[in-house]
Amino acid sequence: MSRQPHSIDELQDIVSRLPSTRNEDWKYTDLASARDISSRWLAAGRESLSLALQDEVEAVTHAIDANWIVIANGELQHPVDVNGASRLDDAPSSDTALAELNAALLKDGLRLRVEDALDKPIGILMIDGTEDASVSQAYVEIEFAPGASGEIIEYHASKGDADQYANTIVSVAVGDAASARHLRVQNRAAHHVQTGHTSVSVGRDANYTMSGFDLGGGLIRNDVIIDIAAAGAEVSFDGLYLAGEGQHIDNHTRVDHRVGPARSRQEYRGILNGHCRCVWNGKAIVHEGADGTDADQANHNLLLSEKAEIDAKPELEIYTDDVKCSHGTTVGQLDETSLFYLRSRGLDKRHATQVLTHAFASDLVARMPVDAAKEALATVVEHRLAELLDSDPDTFS
Amino acid sequence: MTYEGKDLLDLEPEERAREGIFLGFQYPVEIPGVNNAYLLKTAVNAKRKHQGLGEVDAFEFLKLAREKMAALGMDPKFLNRGVNEGFSGGEKKRNEILQMAMLEPKLAILDETDSGLDIDALKAVAEGVNSLRNPDRAIVLVTHYQRLLDYVQPDFVHVLSEGQIVRSGDKSLALELEDKGYDWVREAASA
Repeated sequence: MSRQPHSIDELQDIVSRLPSTRNEDWKYTDLASARDISSRWLAAGRESLSLALQDEVEAVTHAIDANWIVIANGELQHPVDVNGASRLDDAPSSDTALAELNAALLKDGLRLRVEDALDKPIGILMIDGTEDASVSQAYVEIEFAPGASGEIIEYHASKGDADQYANTIVSVAVGDAASARHLRVQNRAAHHVQTGHTSVSVGRDANYTMSGFDLGGGLIRNDVIIDIAAAGAEVSFDGLYLAGEGQHIDNHTRVDHRVGPARSRQEYRGILNGHCRCVWNGKAIVHEGADGTDADQANHNLLLSEKAEIDAKPELEIYTDDVKCSHGTTVGQLDETSLFYLRSRGLDKRHATQVLTHAFASDLVARMPVDAAKEALATVVEHRLAELLDSDPDTFS
Repeated sequence: MTYEGKDLLDLEPEERAREGIFLGFQYPVEIPGVNNAYLLKTAVNAKRKHQGLGEVDAFEFLKLAREKMAALGMDPKFLNRGVNEGFSGGEKKRNEILQMAMLEPKLAILDETDSGLDIDALKAVAEGVNSLRNPDRAIVLVTHYQRLLDYVQPDFVHVLSEGQIVRSGDKSLALELEDKGYDWVREAASA
């Protein structure tokens, strides 16, 4: 069984329908570069030689002890010998242009089924790197059987100076009384573009914990959609975004509470320096009859430069009475008193700033759900933070 | 404002610290997420680097920090907490003295270190200060009360009013002040 191949014109048509800034959900994020890269790549015959990626693959898979599956430039790297993992021919068709593009151009989909308790995390490394401009798709379906438990790492990386656009879709189904821990790391090369869509359905008395770290990339848009359709669900997710000169990182989240009682909490934090822009839009919808819902969302931003911009928007829609909902958003600079205190102990301004920005991020690093990745991730975050501080020459002048 | 040939007002806060000046804060700031041991070690190393010395050995550092903490009556678990995070008033002041003890400054200025302390904390802080007294180190205690001076016997007492030293003396001046109040000095100064 295989999908109908699309003609170039059909593909160009899908590309032209990718969301524009006229769409309220995409008001701050312009996908012009994604359209441009896709269109050029289609016109050039959809061929681009892969760069050697072995070093980059090993840098990740050796640093984090997990059973790794590698998808390079949209192709599964064999052998995939992870229990419960299999190749998928097709992605489901959907009503958005991004999903259509994904389904139309998908080379290898991946399906993972976690049957009982995983003794080791499963890692999925999606890495891209080509000599000329290219576009890649990834589609991953993860299913936790009722009562199953385990940790999944989703790692996005890329290499090279050529333009890259990656469009990824990850769908997670957490069965009744299952417990899923999900770490998502985006550490793409500068200037690369990614749209990532994560949808999660959470079963009765199930537990879903996620952390997303956006460390690299040029233009990044993440959509996280969580659907709570059974009582007793516990959902907790965090996001950390570090944006330096020239970066644009947009996180859109949506949690649908369809029944209660259930709990969801989210906390996103951003550190921005230089000319960059980040977006956080967190939506929680408590549907009619979802009594006993407890939803909490928080977004905190640290702006180290006057040139940095954050557009933060919490949205609560509540259609029932018996609920507990809260949200809070803060945007601020480093605390001058703390900065002075550290400097009075001999730390120079840059070092003191690094220590304080690190502290701002440290809760989320400490809380991240996959222990096996904690040390490696802490190192990557620290390294990235140091780069970030140096990305704007004005910050310490 | 010249100290050892350098204009202090020209120096950044970190440069003053590396020159051997320590400022003990009246209200030490809480910095969640910054480990107390990390700050202590980084501060010690920043000064050592300035002096052209290598970084302190991690094992030696911990041993020394634990000794100093024991002397100040501090639980070693405070090393692994965030800087002053959730510390009581007395614990914060002990932490300041701990930093001073580790940094071994040439000049220490302790700004109302005695404010808000119960008697046990006051004694511990005073012992910490006394243990650092030596002929090569100057310690300036800023206080409103005699109480601290029962435990730390000052060599000199200066009375500061409106930014000026209006009277100087030995420890008996503090006792006289306690007896007669500050108005007495102010009136004498303006007369």
